Amino acid sequence: MSYSLIIAETRKGEFQEGNFDPLYLSDIVGLPSYILLPEGEYGILRGSCDKVIVAPLKEGEFLNPLNIIRLLERTFQAFGEPSAILLPHCSFGIDVAPYVAGRLGWPIITDISGFCRGEEGEIFIKTLYSEKINGHFRLKEGMRFVGTVRKGVFPKVAEVVKETLFEEAPSIEKDPRRDFIEYIEEEIEDVDITKADLLVSVGRGVKEKGNIPLFEELAALLGGVLSCSRPVADRAWLPKARQVGTSGKTVRPKVYFALGISGAFQHIAGMKDSDVIIAVNKDPSAPIFQYAHYGVVEDMHRLAQKMIENLRDQK
Amino acid sequence: MEVVVLAKWVPTTQEEELKIIDEGRSVDLEEVPFRMNEWDTYAIEEAVRIVKEHGGVGWVISMGSEDADTALRRGIAMGLERGVLLETEEDLIDPFQRAFIFKNLLQKKGIKFDLLLTGGQAEDDEFASTGGVLAGLLEVPYASMVIGIEEISGGEITLLRELEGGLMERVKMALPAVVSIQTGINEPRYVSVTGVLSAAKKERDFLSAADFMEGAKGLLQLIRVEIPPPKEGAEIIGGDLDGKVSGILNILKEKGVYK
Amino acid sequence: MLGLLKREDLFACIQCGKCTGSCPEAGKTSLNIRVMVRKVLFGDWEDKEVPWFCSSCGACTIRCPRDIKPSEVVVGLRAQMVEEGEIPSSLYRALENTLVQKNPWGRSRNKRDAWTAEVGFEIPFIGEDTLETLLFTCCVQAYDPRCMVIPRNIAKVLHAAQVPFGILGRKEVCCGNEIRRVGEFGLFKQLMEENEANFERYQVSRIIALSPHCMNAFKNEYEGGDKKAVHYTQLLWELIQEGRLIFKGSYDKRVVYHDPCFLGKQNGIFDEPREVLKAIPGLQLMEFSRSRENSLCCEGGGGRMFLDVEMGERNGHKRVKEALALGAQVIATACPFCLLNLEDAAAVLDADIEVRDITEVLMEVL
Ligand SMILES: Cc1cc2nc3c(=O)[nH]c(=O)nc-3n(C[C@H](O)[C@H](O)[C@H](O)COP(=O)(O)OP(=O)(O)OC[C@H]3O[C@@H](n4cnc5c(N)ncnc54)[C@H](O)[C@@H]3O)c2cc1C
Repeated sequence: MSYSLIIAETRKGEFQEGNFDPLYLSDIVGLPSYILLPEGEYGILRGSCDKVIVAPLKEGEFLNPLNIIRLLERTFQAFGEPSAILLPHCSFGIDVAPYVAGRLGWPIITDISGFCRGEEGEIFIKTLYSEKINGHFRLKEGMRFVGTVRKGVFPKVAEVVKETLFEEAPSIEKDPRRDFIEYIEEEIEDVDITKADLLVSVGRGVKEKGNIPLFEELAALLGGVLSCSRPVADRAWLPKARQVGTSGKTVRPKVYFALGISGAFQHIAGMKDSDVIIAVNKDPSAPIFQYAHYGVVEDMHRLAQKMIENLRDQK
Repeated sequence: MEVVVLAKWVPTTQEEELKIIDEGRSVDLEEVPFRMNEWDTYAIEEAVRIVKEHGGVGWVISMGSEDADTALRRGIAMGLERGVLLETEEDLIDPFQRAFIFKNLLQKKGIKFDLLLTGGQAEDDEFASTGGVLAGLLEVPYASMVIGIEEISGGEITLLRELEGGLMERVKMALPAVVSIQTGINEPRYVSVTGVLSAAKKERDFLSAADFMEGAKGLLQLIRVEIPPPKEGAEIIGGDLDGKVSGILNILKEKGVYK
Repeated sequence: MLGLLKREDLFACIQCGKCTGSCPEAGKTSLNIRVMVRKVLFGDWEDKEVPWFCSSCGACTIRCPRDIKPSEVVVGLRAQMVEEGEIPSSLYRALENTLVQKNPWGRSRNKRDAWTAEVGFEIPFIGEDTLETLLFTCCVQAYDPRCMVIPRNIAKVLHAAQVPFGILGRKEVCCGNEIRRVGEFGLFKQLMEENEANFERYQVSRIIALSPHCMNAFKNEYEGGDKKAVHYTQLLWELIQEGRLIFKGSYDKRVVYHDPCFLGKQNGIFDEPREVLKAIPGLQLMEFSRSRENSLCCEGGGGRMFLDVEMGERNGHKRVKEALALGAQVIATACPFCLLNLEDAAAVLDADIEVRDITEVLMEVL
């Protein structure tokens, strides 16, 4: 029986949460799941997949499409050809999946967010046009494809407890044409709010300059960047370069976390295309709730305080 | 340096209420204005800067209806020299197929490149795949979501890839290579309407995609499109303060911005 | 090289400084328009920031004794930067948006008629029944929820006064007034041609402009030299004089009128808005110390709706403070940009004063 091969991501040695979605998708499709990983300890995977295949590669060598393709060739020889190669949809997945698809001559579907099986066969769902449309895709030549899977969309199939075998992948000669050099943390000083993945954005609800450090700390603990609405920049509580809106910057972070911002037209125009908007406002009728994906009716200071406590505890 | 950019002319659907036609098979884009895929403007800007620094020729190549010529004109107005349009009225959504057609074009027309740039993804289908598949087909090195090109010398390129949560990785690759560009790598220059009009006078190649289909079969079929159930306003995260805090943290984790 | 101006035109400048003297941005920003004209004349203007500080109020050009048109020098410098592609990112967005969606905010062109939903009656498309009066919405009033009341109010007034009119709906495109002032002449021309083609196609004989900026573009800048355009305050005054508006209540408030630059100083429409306000029963009209030709610009023109610049106090704040000092309860104006800027200032200052468009005041008593 064929299987699905999940190429998993680790960062700085840490197994990433997003790897579970390809794993669960594989269970839903009904294929045995083999997980391919760089050197490391993966006891946590016991019971959740059929094989853990550890490659004799360091993380930096493994997270590299050129080495992965060589590894795949050897893995296929050792374990047979899979019907699906699945990866998390993330900076690693989209680096590797298309390249692998090109080399193998297999079809590719990225950012899979749904699956169903019916009269038309196996259907993979992927959103199109900024999530406004769900596209139903079918493989023309049957189950043999490369896919990346969206994070947090596939639930665990409850009963599945597996006998997990731990194996070594065959060694490969590394491709000299692409080399990992090092990780770099983006500098938080001199921020460019248009580049941040997470913006913690404060509005006039922040009340006074003395409250800014609280939200600075919250942003720092979350690994995000602090931005603001115009009144906050106008009062020079934050620099002009942090202002979001028609007369400030247009931003499109993965998450826009707005606290104490009412949702004026000029502000919305600068952030409406963010992937996810979370708004905190004490007024349940604040217009921003019409644009936000998630809303929290709460005092922003109380909430920030509590979040900071939680985050500190976790550290 | 020969630098090629693949640029896509895409519908601006962010603000539209889309309608489904064709018995559920396609989206009505009749009334939707098109524009250059945003990621591609960054790729073009980067190409213009590279050619300026290292000399050589910059190309912009697009595939689509004849309207996609505007993508070529904008690329040329920004500073690239050559434009090629692969004309097709077909909606070729399979990125594998698209990449194969581009591969055929490059090989049949003898277009050699040191660096081929694409945008990180296209706004319409968000496959983020054409460049990577093409690199695989051509067996040249590939890196995606590049947020900085630090050095190009001695047949090598050093670049920064954007990862999650404020992390980047520095990578070195041999040329020729394919690189997909993330927004924010530079500040694209504005292209004036007059600039685009005068770019229309520059020579461009108009070819038919049908002539480059050899071996480029579609492996993926879009059999149906659906409008997801509408979302009325925000989903309110209620509960006590602790519940609200963990609700927010869960969303941040799910989106991969906080670990 | 300088938009519509040639460098030779500047030789007539006598450096008298009237331009700087009347400039609402002088002193508070580093824009010194007299120095700019001088430097441009000698070909040594390099700065890429200062030209964006001008809010296109036009005071310099009106005051200039030698007809130099300093405000056009600014537009010329901007045009150069536009052609070189080097413009502030927020203006980049506004221009791109206007190219794609035909409005600077990038809202869907297909929603340009969304404001009509709440008027309570069908507003016909201008092409139907050979309607000749066009209500031109203008971008900000088509999309900003705060300003949508203005076209709604005027539509209601016209409906009640039985004036047949139509709209261009989704066919309408930005008038281009600010686009031209930002220096994007190519885009301005494109917009103008599209609007003019529609005016001709639907045989429009009268255009009611809701924004003074649109009116200015139609009257003074469209090649067709559209003399058909009127501002809505002119129309209202006409209707009042003809006795076609019946007032039902009284508006017992002290109201100070703020002259929009593109209505007042640039197009000489000072009296109609005041007459409309005076006709409203109970309303007590007040005047700013700087009014009519000397009105203080709200800083919404010339692209400044899309660009914040480093400066001292916003003029809107000065205006609100003066209105408070006068004892006014309401600041009334007749331009959406002024409305937004003054209302924003009042909110920031937590000032106990209302900011209203004239139509909003009028609707209280109709
Ligand atoms: C020409 C022009 C350009 C402009 N450009 C921009 C721009 O680029 N960017 C921009 O942001 N604005 C811009 N504005 C201003 C814009 O119109 C709004 O005034 C501004 O966005 C409002 O900012 P805000 O939401 O922070 O403040 P407010 O509208 O005052 O909202 C504050 C919100 O905080 C909430 N709140 C208060 N206390 C708390 C608390 N303790 N906990 C939780 N919630 C609380 C309130 O309920 C309220 O909803 C512009 C305006 C003009 C006229």
